[in-house]
Amino acid sequence: MGAHNQGLEFRHVVKAYDDLCVFENLSLTIGTGEFFVILGPSGCGKTTLLRLIAGLEKVDGGEIWLNGRAIHNQAAGDRGVAMVFQDYALYPHMTVSENLAFGLRNMGVPTVEIAARIADTAKILAIEPFLDKRPSKLSGGQQQRVALGRALVKKPDLLLMDEPLSSLDPALRLRTRRELAQLSRSLSATVVMVTHDQVEAMTLASRIMVMHDHVVQQIGTPLEIFMRPANLFVAQFVGATPMNVLAGQLRNGSDGLAEMTLAGGAVVKTAVPTANLSEGLWRIGLRAEHVMLTAPDGGLSGVVDFVERLGEQSWVHVRLGDGSEVVAAQAGVSALQAGDAVGVTLNGAQAHLFDAAGAAYHAPEPA
Amino acid sequence: MSQARGREVWQWLRYAFCAVMLVLILLPLVWTVFLSLRSNIDLMRQAPLSLFGPYTLGNYGELLKNQTLFRWFFNSMIVSGFSVAGVLVLSSLAGYAFGRLHFPFRNWLYVFVLMGLAIPDQSVILTRHHIFSTLHWHNTYLALILPGLSAPLGVFLMTETFRAIPKGMEDAARLDRASPLMVFWKILLPQTLPAQASLGIYTFLLSWNDYWWPLISATRPDMFTLTEGMAAAQTNYAEVTGMGVLMAEAVLAGLPVLIIYIAFQKHIVSAITGMVKL
Amino acid sequence: MTTRGAPKGWGNLLFALPFLAVYLWLLVYPLLAGIRLSLYRANLFGGEHFIGFENYARLFRDRTFIQALGNSLLFVVLTVPLLIVLALGLALALNRGTRFAGFMRSVVFASSVLSVTVLTIIWRQILVPDGGLISHFSRLIGQTPVAFLNDPKLVLPSLAIITVWWSLGLPMILFLSALQQAPRSVYEAAALDRATPWSIFRRITLPAVMPAVILVAAYECALQFQVFGQPQLLTQGGPNGASRPLVLYIYETGFNHWDIGYAAAASQMLFALILVVSLVPQAGRWLIRGRA
Repeated sequence: MGAHNQGLEFRHVVKAYDDLCVFENLSLTIGTGEFFVILGPSGCGKTTLLRLIAGLEKVDGGEIWLNGRAIHNQAAGDRGVAMVFQDYALYPHMTVSENLAFGLRNMGVPTVEIAARIADTAKILAIEPFLDKRPSKLSGGQQQRVALGRALVKKPDLLLMDEPLSSLDPALRLRTRRELAQLSRSLSATVVMVTHDQVEAMTLASRIMVMHDHVVQQIGTPLEIFMRPANLFVAQFVGATPMNVLAGQLRNGSDGLAEMTLAGGAVVKTAVPTANLSEGLWRIGLRAEHVMLTAPDGGLSGVVDFVERLGEQSWVHVRLGDGSEVVAAQAGVSALQAGDAVGVTLNGAQAHLFDAAGAAYHAPEPA
Repeated sequence: MSQARGREVWQWLRYAFCAVMLVLILLPLVWTVFLSLRSNIDLMRQAPLSLFGPYTLGNYGELLKNQTLFRWFFNSMIVSGFSVAGVLVLSSLAGYAFGRLHFPFRNWLYVFVLMGLAIPDQSVILTRHHIFSTLHWHNTYLALILPGLSAPLGVFLMTETFRAIPKGMEDAARLDRASPLMVFWKILLPQTLPAQASLGIYTFLLSWNDYWWPLISATRPDMFTLTEGMAAAQTNYAEVTGMGVLMAEAVLAGLPVLIIYIAFQKHIVSAITGMVKL
Repeated sequence: MTTRGAPKGWGNLLFALPFLAVYLWLLVYPLLAGIRLSLYRANLFGGEHFIGFENYARLFRDRTFIQALGNSLLFVVLTVPLLIVLALGLALALNRGTRFAGFMRSVVFASSVLSVTVLTIIWRQILVPDGGLISHFSRLIGQTPVAFLNDPKLVLPSLAIITVWWSLGLPMILFLSALQQAPRSVYEAAALDRATPWSIFRRITLPAVMPAVILVAAYECALQFQVFGQPQLLTQGGPNGASRPLVLYIYETGFNHWDIGYAAAASQMLFALILVVSLVPQAGRWLIRGRA
């Protein structure tokens, strides 16, 4: 096969349960030092992928390579991989330092070095004050640090995290997320993390893999995923509010760019080239910040359904004449009320187009 | 106003009920201790006993000279001790298998085991007696211990305990390079210790107090357990020892279980409430 | 080691094997062998021949058996309701965090840890007419002491009282744990709705302990149906069999008369009755679940 790359590599991996095929033929490369996030709704196969890497499940076909070693046939403990579990899975009958030491002892690390490594890790994670306590005496945030410490103390080639922030309350989650970002930069460890929270993915990842129904939808940087979603699913899954999607008739414009005629008759001029696009029924997608609300002006118009005021910005849900809904973002606290009639302007230059199968077409990237 | 009055009446009813129950429950115990402190001559007289004595520890002194009693006590310790050890080992292993591992027909086997909870010891006694007869094992410790190990209750309690341990525990341990045996011995088993304590004390009391099986299996007085021996003593106490001594025996026989009960009350309660989950 | 997926790994069965072996050898096999034995005329000396259901037919013609069966049923009727009412009363009275309540709970359960032989030693010296505790009280008010254990009418109720004294702890603990599982907020909501103590008891407390009551009732029925030590030690089943329960009958038939096949048939009757009683709480639970 190919050259022995550094980092993690999946080669044609197959995994099935009973008759359900989870992965048919998955190939994937993750470079050293990357913070790679697998994003998707629950039950889409993310955790299975993590367990395959960890060796908690066996692949049914294909290979997994880590830093030039084939690891898919190795036992879980021998792969140089550590994992932070969703429920932490700390050993409740051991103190924090015993939790950290257990794996090192099994790896045959000398006692002196174990003590030194625990001291180092405890310092980095600020868990020194409770090294002699049992996990049940710690708060959720402290337990989370200990779980991270138990993984880091082994100095793994690869750190896996399964929804590590999901059992924290929102305020703590935000703080821990920032700490995690700093930590991963300073450690320059290779990390694969699973989450269903797209904000976590966007803020932490160097690259994101979006999964849905056991199928990889897109792999890319957070910016690529957000700006150039590969398909309708990604477009609507990523972002603070789902992308607005409206049906319409695609027509080739005279300048070679696509024009969409919406249900109400309004025409939106996009920046997507029409080369090779067939005319017909398409969908147009626009982020909330690219929908402008004006006084009713005879163009596309609708009635305000309700307004979500978040403080720094507001999301105005507008029902259009044909019954479809769009969400417009407004800076600050919107003065609009439910029932207000508004004109709707769509910023076609920022629009994405989706064909019948959901595949996305974008305006060319600015040079 | 009337609601407050109603509450007051309830309160008094509660106190009265508690007081009556307290007297009814304690009086027999106090009476036994009272009799055990009176001389046999005192007890043989028909006249009512005076509350003001004379009191004596003579009956207890008499007991200390009684070799047979010590032998029975020793037998009970052996039988109860090994019953506890046996039940804990068998139940932990089976509980681990049923609660944590996978094998063919696991759930069917578990249901099959739980059905045993409905089989009373009394209804299997004839054939059980026959099994030990053909082996010539009656009047041995083994015969006194083994039947207690066949009860499924411990397996049920331990299976539920193992099941309650979070799922990721084995995974975490495997990533920490623990072998399957280490996972059981160092990770899972220590987490079941509170349940082991409850089950152990419960088993001890059950075995210590068992009268039915020793009565049938141990027919030689030197193999009697204390519970069985106390039965033999009370049917012919008048000729042999006298009532005062018998009462002192009852106090001494009750004392170990009462001490264990007081020391481990919490565990006994949790063992009992654990059974309800069935 | 498999963590998920298809069940495989016969090796894992090894962990359960030691228990399963003892279980099969000393509980399941004796049960099945006992059922077989009940179809034979058998005695200790090895004589054994098949007689079908003759033993069972003989049981129903046997006055002593019918009397023992009746005694056992009567004993259950005498003990179980009284146990439940008193234990529920105690649980309600003691369901609080005070020190006295804690002490009282300990006292109530204490008698349950005594063996049946200690129990009977204690109570004999309370019930006997010459020198018993009750006889002292009777003399004080000028009555002739009653011979509780020699009166065919009083002997079973006396044994029932002893048994209730002995067994109050377990039901009380189960009721207490059921009471403590009832959420506090429900009581607070009821207090806000100005509910009376009686309606709180009827509408909130009782439904909360009902599953425990059914469970305890079934468990105690099964347990008291197996009563043996109290009559065997205090009355030897007398006077005139008035206190001989089913298990004592089985014991005497099997181990005094050595009529083993016949005793086995009586054992199966016991097993069948206990089985029926064991199924009641399950049925009750389904009923409650169905209503919820």
